[in-house]
Order: sequence, then C-alpha cells, then structure tokens
Amino acid sequence: MRRMMAICNKELQAYFLSPTSYFAFAVYVLMTSLLFYSSFVYYQPSIVDYRLVLGDTLSMLLFVVPLLTMRLVAEEFRQGTDELLLTSPTRVTEIIFGKYLASLAILLVLILCSLVYPFIMSFYGKLDLTSVWLSALGLFFLGASMMAIGLFASTLSQHQMVSAVAGFIMLLVLWMLDSFAGNTGSALQKWLDPFALTKHFDNFTKGVLSGPDVLYYITLSGLFLLLSIQIVERKRWR
Amino acid sequence: MLEVRQVSKVYEGQRGVHQLDFTMERGEIVGFLGPNGAGKTTTMRMITGYLHPTEGSVLVDGVSVHDQGRSVRSKIGYLPETPPLYPDMTVQSYLKFVANLRDVPAREVKLRISEMVSRLGLQGREKQLVRGLSKGYKQRLGLAGAIIHKPDLLVLDEPTSGLDPNQIIEIRDLIRELGENHTVLLSTHILPEVSTLCNRMLIINQGKLVLDGSPQDLGSAMGDRFKVSLEVKATEQQLLQVLSPWEKAETEIIPIVATSSSASSERSLEATSSQFGASGEVVSSAPSTVHVRLTGETSEDYREELFSLLSGAGLPILEMKRENLSLEQIFLKLTTSEITETEEALTPGENLQDADDTGSETSLDSTSDEGEGSK
Repeated sequence: MRRMMAICNKELQAYFLSPTSYFAFAVYVLMTSLLFYSSFVYYQPSIVDYRLVLGDTLSMLLFVVPLLTMRLVAEEFRQGTDELLLTSPTRVTEIIFGKYLASLAILLVLILCSLVYPFIMSFYGKLDLTSVWLSALGLFFLGASMMAIGLFASTLSQHQMVSAVAGFIMLLVLWMLDSFAGNTGSALQKWLDPFALTKHFDNFTKGVLSGPDVLYYITLSGLFLLLSIQIVERKRWR
Repeated sequence: MLEVRQVSKVYEGQRGVHQLDFTMERGEIVGFLGPNGAGKTTTMRMITGYLHPTEGSVLVDGVSVHDQGRSVRSKIGYLPETPPLYPDMTVQSYLKFVANLRDVPAREVKLRISEMVSRLGLQGREKQLVRGLSKGYKQRLGLAGAIIHKPDLLVLDEPTSGLDPNQIIEIRDLIRELGENHTVLLSTHILPEVSTLCNRMLIINQGKLVLDGSPQDLGSAMGDRFKVSLEVKATEQQLLQVLSPWEKAETEIIPIVATSSSASSERSLEATSSQFGASGEVVSSAPSTVHVRLTGETSEDYREELFSLLSGAGLPILEMKRENLSLEQIFLKLTTSEITETEEALTPGENLQDADDTGSETSLDSTSDEGEGSK
C-alpha cells in the first residue's frame, strides 16, 4: 500500500511538472468551452439541460486521455527507471495501480473543470441536479476505463507518442463500435452495441444508475489494468 | 549468500548467457569482468530479478529470486549501468521515493536520507533537481538509492564508468567501505580496479564463465612457467657459457632484439666503458650488457640460484625482473581466442614490448591509486 501510494505521489508530481498535462488540460478546457459557447450561449436553447453540452464535451476525452496516460509507463522504460521499480520489492500490481490511481486523481480534476458549465447554466434556469451529478459520475466511470486503456497503451512502447497514438486508436475503435455496425447487418450491430464505450453512458445522463453500466466500465478498467500488469510482468521473460 | 546455478538466458537470435554457475560468500567483493556483450548486465539483471533466467535458478540465502521475488529483492541493492533517476525530482524526493519503494521503515526514512546524503557527499544538493546534477553526482545518487535499505547483497553495474579520476577514487573508497558490511558484485571494464577493490574476480566471455579466482594468484596460475628477464653485464658468449650447462631450471635463452631505446643505452654504456676502460684495451671486447629472458621448466622460483650462478661466474646482474602476466594479458588471453594463437606466433621481442606497454598502463593507474592513498 505504501509503495503504491509512493508511486501514485510520484506520478501526481510528474503530472504537475510536465508541460504535456498542462497542454492536455488547456486543450480540454478550450475545446469544451468553445463547444459550450456554441451550443449554449450562441445557439440559446429554449431549455436549460446539461445534456446539451455534455454530448459535445464528451468526445474531447478521446483526445485528452491518451495525452495524459502516454507518459505513465512508457517513460519508465525510456529512462530505464523500470529497472528501479522492477528490482525493488514492489509488485507490478502495485506499480500499475499506483499509476492508475494518479490518473484517476487527474481525471477528477478534469471532471471538476467540466462541472463549471452546469454551474453557469444553473443561473439561467433550473437544472435537473440528479442528471448533472449522475452525469459527472458517469463521466468518471467512462474516463476511468479510458484511462485504463491509455495506461495499457503506455505499456506497449517506450515512446510516448507511439503510446498516445496506440491509445487513441484503441479508444476510437471502442468509441465507434456502435456506429461501425450501424449501417451493416443488424445482428452484428446488436452483438457489438453493448461493447461500445459511450453506449453505457446514456443511462447516466438520464439520471439512471444501472448496474450493468457500472459493471461494464469497471470490467473494462479491470481488464486493461490486468493486461497492463501482464505486459510489464512479461518484460522479465524477454 | 548468492548462488547462481546453471543459469542460462536465451534471447531470440542473440547470444545470452550459457550455463553460468558460481557462488558468492558473505562479505566478498567480487569483480565481474568481460568484454562488451559478454552477458555481464544480463547476469546482473537475472540476479536482481529484473529478468528471469530461461534455465537454472538464482538463490539468495537459499531463496529463489524468481519464485520468492519480493522477499529476495528487498535484500538486494542494484545500481544499473545508467542510474535509474527521475530528472524532475529533487535529490531528497528521489531518495524518499526509493526509501518508500524499498520498504525502509517509515520512521527511519528521514534519518536514512540524511545518512545517505552525508555519506555520498550530496550535502547542499538536497533541493536540487536531478536533471541539473553532473554525471558524478547522478552516479552517487543512484548508489545512494541502491544502498538506502541496507541490502545484504549489492550489485553494481559499472559503478565508475564515465566518472573523472577523483570521482572514481571516491566511489572506489565507498565500495571498499561498503564491502565491509555488504556482499558486493561489481562489473567493470577497468582491470586495475578489480585488483585494487576485489578479493575475487569472475571473467565471463560470450556468456560463459572462463575464470574464477583472486586477482593476485591469477597471474601465476595463468603464466604456468616461471619467467625472468635479465640484464647482465657480459658478452653474449660469456653468458651462454654459464647458462647453457645450467640444468636446475632448464632455460631457453632469448636474446633481445635490440629496440631503439635499449640499443642507444647499450651504445652509451659502451661509450662510458671505453672512457673508463684502461688504455690500450680494445673497445669491442669490453663487456657490454646483454638482455636475456629465461623461461623455467616449471613454475618454481629459481632467481636465487640464478643470482649465485651468475655472481660465481663474475657476471654482474644489472637487472632481474620477474615477468607475470598482467591482468590485461590474462583478460585478453581468456576473452579473445585468436589472441592466444597469435601471441605464440609473435616474435619474442614484440611479445615483450607488448608486455611493457601493458605494464606502463598499469603503473599509470597505480599512480592514481597512490594519489588515493595520500588523500
């Protein structure tokens, strides 16, 4: 536990020190605020609903998450610091979870940033608070599984950019899974639909907390964390 | 303490380590030598649990590194070839991080950090970013990280590479000091380092262990015949008359091919002898000096006998030097298969000159060791 927290702390420090994370945050805040401006301020909808903004901002995660996770493991391999981690009594599980925990903390900050918009909206009408809070929760679950995928991509290479691109592609495929099969056979679509990243997000925005949705995101995160652990552990057998 | 049992590591399409087998006792400082790509780093990585062997096992205090990895790894301190540092951390936060990773008891962390800082001469740099440290200080910080948890076994991969002579001396002193309480395995390219630091050395070549022994008795073990080079004030004929019937250590006399320096010294000697020589004496008959190299039948020491033999014959010995294989020669002999063949094919003169060269190299380094002593 102590070792895990040490790694988590180190990663958080690295987040605050690296220009990449500031860049990612800047991109995220800039793009979401532009989208907010166009869909709320400029367009002036007749109702005040967080969902009007949320759908647009959601896709920004697709670009920001790989930027935030690419460094996590790849940088250790590049600097040779994996030798320190892997020859210390630390378990690989602790290493991966420590890093994942740090990325979750960053995700929380990211979500706090996006909560500014419903706060602004609340001045212009009555918001459905259940929907807002559950959307934030859904955003956290969605973001958490995306972070796990990004972390996994980061274990695949020692080059940050390669990891970022790999992570982005993996996320994109999972994101588009429902629309890939959209125009083809309906059987395939039915089969693929439940695996799509955003499919399980809809219920949260409706203010419905359903077990399968939560389970989907937790399973997805767990799966990719497990894969990351295996990939790093595999390094010992090269 | 450490047992490496029949360890092999096979890489795809690359040579790795084959059937390595050695043990280390507590308190030993063992030097690990080998040319580049011989498998030193691979072996060290297997010992520290960074890599798992394809075959065989590594045991520390009887516990296997890859079955009980965590408990074993907590007993090992490892400094890789490039110290594993995070450039954005400060010296202090790095040490704290490593202390946490390596299970240093929480209440001792502060104490250990200040201990490491003073021991490795990092005072005044605690708040400095690792990025801004010089190579020597990075090496020290890496070493501090490797010993902060007081490991039983310390594995150092080329700890002095890339350091300036002063830093090398400091790091060597530190390793010697550490060797009092820890078992140390260190790899190095610098051969005299092994003879000054280690009480045992292992030479590895192409993934195989080719030599295991202490640096001191290695020379005599490898040079199986007792060799002496002599400078005698006599003519070649006189000397041969005395030495050819000498049977005790049957000798093969190798007259030296006059090198430019020895030729000039001979000439000057002749000049002086002609100056001091009584009038009327023929210069050519005046005894000049002869260089010979004697190779004994066995490794038995025959120098005393040789002295009395020659002094009895009235031939003064100006210089007598025992010729041992230098560490470099042993290393070359063991690690380059072609060298041993070509060495025999070489003319003796060239061979000796070769030995002189390596000798001067070692003496150069021993002067730096003297500097260390005066420090």
